[in-house]
Amino acid sequence: MAALPQYAILLALTLGTVGFVFTLYGLARVIGRSRAEPGKDVPATAGTLARDPVWVRYHAKYYGYALLFLAFDMEMAFMYPWSVVYREEGLVALLDMGVFLAILFLGLAYGWSQGALRRQ
Amino acid sequence: MNIFLILMALSAGAYFIAVLEGWTVHRRFSLSRPLYSALAFFGRESVLTRKNDLVFFEAGPVLLLVAGVLAAAVIPLAPGLIITDLATGALFLNAALAYVLVALIMAGWGPDGAYAMIGGWRFLGQFIAYAMLIVMPITAVAMRAESLSTTVIVESQEQLWNVFYQPIGFVLFFVAALGLAWLPPLDLPTAAGDLAGGVEAEYTGARLAVLRLARMVIILVMAGATVTFYFGGWLSPGFAASLPDWAWSGIKILIVTAVMLTAGRHVPRVREARYLAVSWKLGISLALSNIFLVGVIALVVPI
Repeated sequence: MAALPQYAILLALTLGTVGFVFTLYGLARVIGRSRAEPGKDVPATAGTLARDPVWVRYHAKYYGYALLFLAFDMEMAFMYPWSVVYREEGLVALLDMGVFLAILFLGLAYGWSQGALRRQ
Repeated sequence: MNIFLILMALSAGAYFIAVLEGWTVHRRFSLSRPLYSALAFFGRESVLTRKNDLVFFEAGPVLLLVAGVLAAAVIPLAPGLIITDLATGALFLNAALAYVLVALIMAGWGPDGAYAMIGGWRFLGQFIAYAMLIVMPITAVAMRAESLSTTVIVESQEQLWNVFYQPIGFVLFFVAALGLAWLPPLDLPTAAGDLAGGVEAEYTGARLAVLRLARMVIILVMAGATVTFYFGGWLSPGFAASLPDWAWSGIKILIVTAVMLTAGRHVPRVREARYLAVSWKLGISLALSNIFLVGVIALVVPI
């Protein structure tokens, strides 16, 4: 099958799933609506409203990993096409990617030695 | 027709998971209980919290279900029995499953509840831990098959399943799959016992039913991906080859699902910091050596 009809199927699948969920919600609505009662809409914090606001800034304590993750994720974008032609290209591909991965691995090792791989 | 069959298989699998989960959690085997629980969800009230981000709150479960169904579209159950046999199937699986993170953060942010929010942010940390260990083993699988199409990947395992060809990759992928489907011991976003349900805490009624269904679909998809990449998909294991192709896929997927659900039940929950440290120091090193090893083997041995 050509690529475009396949993506059309995937789009239809997405819309169908959303439609299915709306049907379920409609069914629940027909069975009954929720009654408005005081105190029912308090979030699950032992029955009282939280003392501190929840929608605030949080410290991403894993940012060292997150930065390395970006580098590795970009690298994977190169790895996928490489892996498809790998056997065709043979030893050249292994050496090419070997050098690339070695540099990347050195980067990981350097980050590790500088303490990037821990929760800050 | 294929679409209908696979969606039917998905719902049957979700039902199986519900039965199995009831069995492992409540120690009671009952085929009818999941039906009653599902019906009961629709009779219950679907409460909105006081201050909420309605778009995020509603979109969370729906997006999770869409991600699961789209990922299921590239998993073959038999030759030709696949919704879309994309040439970039293995990559599409990654792309669809990336939305699991987005959906969980939306579900955590939406209700303005402390427990839900902590669960959502925890999953972001968990994502950074498991994500590379999903994509790197798949690269090694694609290297052997010389293709990203999931059907070609299954056919490449005709002579030897990948679980024996690249066992390191299998272990890494399986553990990362547990992390992606937030199953114990990596169930940080829901964390029964210390987060009061986490991202599930504020969901009730029909919305919770959709969230639970989506989670079951995600578990099934991860089992299906494990079978496709490592257990030879629909290929029969040599002996007793009289069963049809789809039956082998079904049996393998159900066994892997059962192992995923029961494997971590008796292990203490892993803390986020520890999970990040182990997957980056040990996991990434092993995944890179796996790629290198498979690279050498693929050049030397012609299978």
